Amino acid sequence: MATTQENPLLEGLQLRRTPDPCILVIFGASGDLTQRKLFPALYSLAFRRLLPERFAVVGVARSEETDDEFRERMKEAVQQHGRDEFRDDVWETLADGMRYVATDFADEAGEDRLVNVLNELDAEHSTGGNRVYYLAIPPSVFGTVVRALGKRRGTEGWTRLIVEKPFGRDLESARELNSAIEEHFEENEVFRIDHYLGKETVQNMLALRFANGIFEPIWNRQFVDHVQITVAESIGIENRAGYYEQAGAIRDIFQNHLLQLLAITAMEPPIDFTADSVRNEKVKVLRAMHTPGPKSVVRGQYGRGFVEGEEVAGYREEEGVDPRSMMETYVAAKLYVDNWRWADTPFYVRMGKRLARRETTIAIQFKRAPHPPFEEVAAEALRPNVLLIHVQPNEGMSLAMDFLYGGAFRTGLPEAYERLILDAMLGDATLFTRIDEVEEQWSLVDAIVAAWARDRPAFPNYPAGTWGPPSADELLGRDGRSWRRH
Amino acid sequence: MAQALTSVREIERELSSLRAVPGGESPYQRTSVMTHTAWVPEEWVEAAEDVLSGLAERHPSRTVVLFPQPDDDDGLDGRICTETIRIRLKGGRADVPASVVQPLLLPDLPAFLRWRGLPPFGAEYFEGLVDVVDRLIVDSTEWPNLPDSYRGLSEIFDRVAVSDIAWARTSRWRPMLASLWPQIAGVERIRVTGTAAQAHLLAGWLRSRLKREVVLEHDQADRLEGVDIDGEPAPFPPGDPPAGSDLLSEELDKFGRDRIYEDAVRNAGGETN
Repeated sequence: MATTQENPLLEGLQLRRTPDPCILVIFGASGDLTQRKLFPALYSLAFRRLLPERFAVVGVARSEETDDEFRERMKEAVQQHGRDEFRDDVWETLADGMRYVATDFADEAGEDRLVNVLNELDAEHSTGGNRVYYLAIPPSVFGTVVRALGKRRGTEGWTRLIVEKPFGRDLESARELNSAIEEHFEENEVFRIDHYLGKETVQNMLALRFANGIFEPIWNRQFVDHVQITVAESIGIENRAGYYEQAGAIRDIFQNHLLQLLAITAMEPPIDFTADSVRNEKVKVLRAMHTPGPKSVVRGQYGRGFVEGEEVAGYREEEGVDPRSMMETYVAAKLYVDNWRWADTPFYVRMGKRLARRETTIAIQFKRAPHPPFEEVAAEALRPNVLLIHVQPNEGMSLAMDFLYGGAFRTGLPEAYERLILDAMLGDATLFTRIDEVEEQWSLVDAIVAAWARDRPAFPNYPAGTWGPPSADELLGRDGRSWRRH
Repeated sequence: MAQALTSVREIERELSSLRAVPGGESPYQRTSVMTHTAWVPEEWVEAAEDVLSGLAERHPSRTVVLFPQPDDDDGLDGRICTETIRIRLKGGRADVPASVVQPLLLPDLPAFLRWRGLPPFGAEYFEGLVDVVDRLIVDSTEWPNLPDSYRGLSEIFDRVAVSDIAWARTSRWRPMLASLWPQIAGVERIRVTGTAAQAHLLAGWLRSRLKREVVLEHDQADRLEGVDIDGEPAPFPPGDPPAGSDLLSEELDKFGRDRIYEDAVRNAGGETN
C-alpha cells in the first residue's frame, strides 16, 4: 500500500523548510529595532517567499496609530533600510496581514484589543492560533507583558516567545525574569535572541571548525598562542542614554554577544547540530571560565574626539547622560577557559563605543614557527599565522600566512534577523541562548562589576575615535603581546 | 581593447603580468575558486556572454571561453580581460581544445566545462575536454531529437559528473510533485506543458523513482507552465523561475554526481504519446 511506503520522489530533493501558518506579534513596534531590522528582515523573507503562505503581523506599542499609519511607516522603513529592491507586489502580501494595536499593557482593555485582533486575523488568515511574540521592549515592562501573554494564552496552536537582550541586568534579575516566563511558558518555547548568532559567519565558524579536518587538530593550547575578540563600534550611544546609563558596555555587549562569540570559538565538538547539543557545549565553556582578577579587566569611557573626520562629543556630554557619569563605554579583559583544550591560553576580548572603526572580529593567533631557518630575515619580522573571522561589517574569513593573504570573497548575505526570525517560526532554537547560558554569563559579569565598586577610575580615559584607553594596551603588553594591528 | 595573443604561452605570460602590480615587487593576488571553460559555437555567443556576466560575483573564477572556428586557417586568437580568456580556435586547433585548455587550468581547483548545444558524443575534441574537467554542464533544452539524444549523455556518466540546466529548471516542480504523495504513486500518464527536455526529464524522473511506466504527453512551450497528473492539473509551485546565471551558478556549487538526474536521463526514453 503506497501510503505506508517512504516517498521515493523526495530522494535527492533539497527541500526548503517552511514555517507553519502563524501570527507574529511585535511588542515595541514603534522602536528603532522594529524599523531598522525587524521589518526589513520580514520583507526580505517575503521577497524570497520564505514566510508561510498564511501569515500576519501585529505591531504593539504605546503610541496611538492606525493600521494604515503603521503600514505606511513600516513601508518607509523597508524602503530605507531593506537590502532588497522594493516591490509593491511583495509589500502588499506583507501589508495585507498587518495590524496595529496601541496599548501599554497596563490595563485589561489593551489586552482585550490585542486578543480580539489576533482572533480576527486567525479567522481571516487561517493561522490556527500559532503565535510568535517578539518582545522588543525595555526590561522594565518585560514582566508585565509576559504575565499578560501567559494569562491570555489560547488553547489552540503553538506559542513562541522571542526575547531581545538584555535578559536582566544581573544574575538575580535574570532569574526573576525567567521565573515570570516559566510560570507560563516552557523553556523550548523561549527564544532568547542574540543577533550575532544569526550572522552567517558565526554559523560558518561551526562549519569551519567541525567540517574541515585541517583546523580541529590545531585548535587548542598546543598550537594557538592566544585568541583576540574585538567588538568595536564607531557610533556613540545614539539617543539611548536612559538605557546605556543603566547597562554600560559590560551589560550591553560583554554579557551577551562577546561571551557567546567566545563560547562558539572555544566549544568542544557537539555530538550533533541540534539546539541542545550545541548549547550544552557552549555552556560548558562558560562554566569553565575563570573570574578574571581586577588587573585582568580594563574599563574606559570616551571623551571628545574625532570619528571619521568629524568631531564628536564625549560620553558625559551626550544628551541624557549624567555629566559625572562613571558608566563604562569600553571593556577589555583577559579571560581563561579552564579545560584540557584551552588551559593557560589567554582570550583577550575588547568592546567599546566610539572606537576608531566598526569591526567585529575573532582572531586566532597561532604560535610562531619554532625556528626560522631564513638567515637574512630577522625572526621578529616573521608574523605568526592568524586566522581572522570577520563577523561585521564584512562577513568572511581570511588566513594570514607569511607568503600569502587569501581573502574570502563576499556576496550578499542574509541579515542576521532574517535567519533568526525564520528559525523561531520553525521552532529551531540552535542559534538562541538557553537560560543556563544566560545565568553563567551573568555570574561572570556580576563578579567583574562587584570588583569595580571598589575603585573610581579617572574617566574619560580615551578620546573618541581611538582604540581605547592605554591601560588596554598594557593589559596585553604585560604578556609580551599586542592587540592586532588595524 | 585587449591585445590579440596567438599562442598559449603568450596567454600564460599575459596572465602572469596581470598579477604584477605596476612598479611593485610583490604579486597582486587574485581570488579564483575554479576554472570555468565554456565551448561556445558562433550561434551561442550572445547567450553565453549574458550568462557569464552574471557569474562573477558568486563564482570568481578563471574563465576560458572557446570559440571554435574550424573553417578558418589554423591558429589561435586569444584575448584576456581580467581573468576571462577568450580564445578563437581556428582551423585544426578546434580539433584539439583540451591541449589549449589544460595549461590554463588553475591547479588544484575544480574545473567545469559548459557546453552550449548538443555535445558531439564520441568526437575526439569533445571527449578530450571531458577528460580534463570535473563536471560537464549542458542544457538539454538546446538539444534536438529528444529523448534519443540523452543516450550519448548517459554513456559518459561514469567519466564525468554532469549538470543539466534543463533539469535545474524543473527544481521548483519536483518538490511540488513529491508533495502529491501518496496519490501520485499510481500515476499512469502525465502531460507536461514546457520544453521537450523538461517533459522528458520529469517523465524519466517519475518512472525511475516510482519504478513504473509513465506515459508522457508533451505540449510545447518555452518554459515549464504546467503538469497534469492523470488528467488533473498539479498545483503551480511558488516562487519565480530563477535567471540563467543563477541556475548555472548553483550547478557550479555541486561537485558530486547527481544520481537522481542520471536515473531520470536513463529513463527519459519511455513511452511518449
